[in-house]
Amino acid sequence: MSYERFLADDPVVVTAALTGGIHGKEANPNLPETPEEIGKAAAAAEEAGAAIVHVHARTDNGERAFSTARFQEIDDAIRRYADDVVIQHTTGATAAPTEKRHRSLRTDPPPEMASLDMGPLNRYDRLTSENTIATIDALYDEMADRGIKPEMEVFNDGHLNEVHGLLDRRDLGDLPYATLIFGPGTLTRPRPRNLLNAVDNLPEGALFNTLGFGRHQLPFATMGILLGGNVRVGLEDNVYYRQGELAESNAQLVERVVRVADELGREVVTPDQARDVLGL
Amino acid sequence: MTCPYLSYRTSADSESFDEARAYCGAAERFVQPMRADICNDRFELDHAEDCGIYVEHASDDPDVSDPAVSTTAGGDS
Ligand code: SF4
Repeated sequence: MSYERFLADDPVVVTAALTGGIHGKEANPNLPETPEEIGKAAAAAEEAGAAIVHVHARTDNGERAFSTARFQEIDDAIRRYADDVVIQHTTGATAAPTEKRHRSLRTDPPPEMASLDMGPLNRYDRLTSENTIATIDALYDEMADRGIKPEMEVFNDGHLNEVHGLLDRRDLGDLPYATLIFGPGTLTRPRPRNLLNAVDNLPEGALFNTLGFGRHQLPFATMGILLGGNVRVGLEDNVYYRQGELAESNAQLVERVVRVADELGREVVTPDQARDVLGL
Repeated sequence: MTCPYLSYRTSADSESFDEARAYCGAAERFVQPMRADICNDRFELDHAEDCGIYVEHASDDPDVSDPAVSTTAGGDS
């Protein structure tokens, strides 16, 4: 049971989701979009306590980009500005061809981690992000070939079945890592009982990351810390600091969750410690 | 063909940007980057099928050009 990890004073890994692939500066002008902005935001988030940065690529005007070259530019900027933060690329790309989703895995060096969306979800009123089992397997296989650890993104409880399914089909090693996501639409309803249920239904030994969208970010991060999980915060998932007040930066959101972890007695790990915790 | 409501601007109302961004003349606001792929009909996307804002506005907007609307009909003519 994950609460044992809380009682055992296991440390917590903080991920900062800096940019995302849906909204941009039109939602919050402080959201980083260019490689330079993302590099600096990663450094500030690391300084604030994030061990991992979750990375999406954009063009200079904020639109979605999928090329390996753009991810490379971003990684180069992150390494220029940040110290030793773990880089996690997205492989999400709603409505784009599946082939484009592999491109973020092909930087040199590859990212240490990459996201793996575990099933379909609706976007807006007329789009679906498909994430078929064949797509999941193909992305996973390329990650395995390149030594990239998957961060399995569980947008709803059906995706928990897909986590078990992937573990049946593939050998993910000792420490499978899943992000439990709560929010509107196709996502699991953001209610505390649903987090408990999701944690209870994880495969034996799995580590989890906790992610609430929008105003649910802080309460779900706090509950995740109490349940022995890890947390993800950042402008990709929540552009506000509190209701009606835009966040100033990703680092501001990281600083707050680090304070919460500290008050609850869980040490926040450095990037190097995170590599040990997650078996990177 | 891109959506007839789409333009690229550096400012509107109180918002301004260094780079010109996708702006929706129907909703009168800057467009989210993911939605901009619909506006530009990128990949297999089609604004006339995939954008609810377009569908809602085009039905009662005489200025929207016929070819864009006709893609909604499935092209069986
Ligand atoms: S596709 Fe939709 S959001 Fe984009 S410009 Fe057209 S009506 Fe506006």
